[in-house]
Amino acid sequence: MDQSTYPPPLVVRLIGQISTVCGVIASFMILASVLITCQMIFIRAVLGKSTIWQTEAVIYLMIGATLLGLPYVQKLKGHVGVDLVPSLLGRNGRRILAILTLIATGCMIALMFYYAYDMWHFAWARGWKSETVWAVPLWIPYLSIPVGFGLFLLQLVADLWMVVISEDIAAPVAAEDRRH
Amino acid sequence: MDPLVVGALVAISTVMVLFSGVSVGTGLLIVATGFLLVFDGARSLVALPELFYGELNSFALLSIPMFIIMGSAISSTRAGPDLYEALERWLTRVPGGLVVSNLGACALFAAMSGSSPATCAAIGKMGIPEMRKRGYPDEVAAGSIAAGGTLGILIPPSVTMIVYGIATETSIGRLFLAGVIPGLLLVSLFIAWAIFDTWRRGAAGVALSGVTYSWTQKFEILPRVLPFLAIIIGVLYALYGGIATPSETAAVGALLCIIVAMIIYRMYQPKALWAVLRDSTRESVMILFIIGAAGVFSFMLSSLFVTQSVAGWIAELDVNRWVLMGIINIFLLVAGFFLPPVAVILMSAPILLPIITSAGFDPIWFAVVLTINMEIGLITPPVGLNLYVINGIAPDISLKKILVGSLPFVGCMVLAIVILSVFPSLATWLPDYLMGPAL
Repeated sequence: MDQSTYPPPLVVRLIGQISTVCGVIASFMILASVLITCQMIFIRAVLGKSTIWQTEAVIYLMIGATLLGLPYVQKLKGHVGVDLVPSLLGRNGRRILAILTLIATGCMIALMFYYAYDMWHFAWARGWKSETVWAVPLWIPYLSIPVGFGLFLLQLVADLWMVVISEDIAAPVAAEDRRH
Repeated sequence: MDPLVVGALVAISTVMVLFSGVSVGTGLLIVATGFLLVFDGARSLVALPELFYGELNSFALLSIPMFIIMGSAISSTRAGPDLYEALERWLTRVPGGLVVSNLGACALFAAMSGSSPATCAAIGKMGIPEMRKRGYPDEVAAGSIAAGGTLGILIPPSVTMIVYGIATETSIGRLFLAGVIPGLLLVSLFIAWAIFDTWRRGAAGVALSGVTYSWTQKFEILPRVLPFLAIIIGVLYALYGGIATPSETAAVGALLCIIVAMIIYRMYQPKALWAVLRDSTRESVMILFIIGAAGVFSFMLSSLFVTQSVAGWIAELDVNRWVLMGIINIFLLVAGFFLPPVAVILMSAPILLPIITSAGFDPIWFAVVLTINMEIGLITPPVGLNLYVINGIAPDISLKKILVGSLPFVGCMVLAIVILSVFPSLATWLPDYLMGPAL
C-alpha cells in the first residue's frame, strides 16, 4: 500500500498543526531565554545592578520550551532511539513493532499527563509560590507539564493512527539532520 | 529482592526496551516507572512529574540550548567551507598541507559547532572532493573527515561535556579545558595516520605536494572566518575569567553568532533564521527530554539501592583498577555503538561515577576517556552517524570503503585512550594549571 493512497485525515492534520504551533512557541521561548539572559548580564555587569526575576524566568522558559516542544519533535520524528531491530525487520514486522512502541509510549505519556495534572492542580488549589524574591505562583510553570505531555499524547495518537491506516512507519531521523 | 538482582533486571529491561525502537527518553521513563511500580507500589508514581520537572529545574542546563543555537547558527552558514579554505590557503606549504588543513578545519569547526555530524557535512562537502582530486586515496579522504568530525564532542565548548558535568556535578569549565590537549593529541594522531596511509598506498608523490596561493588570496578569506573564532575564544575567555557562568556566556555567544551570521553571511531572511531556531529547538528538546527522563531513571536506581549496591559490589570484587577501567571502557564502547553519547552518559554516570572515584580515578580524566569512547561510536556501525553523513555527501564512495578508511582512526582513538591512561595529566594538567587544583 502506498502512503499517498491514504492522505492524513483532517483530525491528524489538525493535530500536526497544533504540534507545529507548539514548536514555534517553544522556539520563541528559547529565543526569549537567550535575550533575557543577555539582558541580565547587561544589567549586572554594565549597569552594576542586581537582577531579580531573570534567572528564574529563563529556567521556566526552558522547561516550558522542552515540554511544549515534545509534540513538535515527535511530529518531526526527532526523538532518537535505537533503530537497529526495526531496521532488521520486514515491512510487516516493522509495522507491528511501530504500533506496539507507539502504544507503550502513549501509555507512559498518559501516565505522566495524569500525575502532572495532579501536580498542577495542587499548586493551583493551594496557591503555591516559588521560594524566591519574585515569588511566582507555581501553577504557571507547572502548567507546561500537563499541557506538554497532553499534546505529546495527542501527537502520538495521530502517529499511531497513520501507522495503522497507511503504514507510515516512523522513519529514523536522517543522519545529516542529527547533531548529537 | 537483592538490589544487585534488581540492578541486573534493570539492565536487561533497559536494553530490551531501548532495542524495541522506543525513543531513549520514553524508554528510560518506561523502565523507571515499571520498576518503581513493582517494587515501591503505585504511590511512588505520584512523584514522576515532579522528578522530571526537578531534573530540568537548573540554570546550568540552559547552556545546552544556548550552545546548540550557537553551533546551529554557525553550521547554517558557509563558515565550514570558508574555514577549510582559509586553512588550505595558509597551510599549503606544510607537507601534507591538505590533510592538515582538513583535519585542522574539522577540529576548529567542531569547536565552533559542537556537533560531529555537522562538522563532517560542513568540512567534508569541500574537503573530500578536493582530497580525491589531489590524489588522496578514497579511504583516507573519507576516513579522515569521518574521524575529524568526531572531535566535536571533545573539543570545547561541547554539549556532551556539559551533560557529563551536570550528570556528575563536575565543573563544566574544568571539563572543557580537559578536552583541549587530548583533542590536539587526537588531531595529531589522525594527521600522522592520514599522511602515513597516503604514503603507504603509494600516493604520497601527488597527494602531499602543495598548491601555491597569493597573499591576496590568503588574506581575503580571513574576515569571513575570524569573527566566529573570536566569539568562541571570547566565550571561553569569559568562562575562565570568572566573568560569567557557562549558561550566561553561551547565551551571549548564541546571540553574537546569530548577529555575525546575519552580517557576514547575510542571513537576514526570516526563513533562514527560523531554520536555525527550529533545528536548535528540535535538538534541545530531544536532549532535555532525555535529561528529564534520566532524572527519573536515576531516582529509581537510587531508591531501589541499585546504584549503591553495584558500587559496593564492584569495590568488594577487589579487581585491579586498570582491569576495571578496561571493562568500563568496553561497556561504554558497546553502549556507544548503539546509543547517542548524551544517553550513554546520562544512563551510566550515576552508576559509574562512584565506582570510578572509589577506584581512585579522576572524574575529569574519566570524562575525556568516556568522550573518546563515544567518539568511536560515531564512526562504527550500526549507528555510526558520521559514516552515513559521509555517505550522504560523497555517495560514490561505498559505505564499505568509508568504514575501512575509518577503522584505523578508531585505532588512533584507542591509542589516545592508552596514552591518556599512561599520562593522565594530559587531561588534568590544563584545568589544574588554569583553575587551580581540583578540590
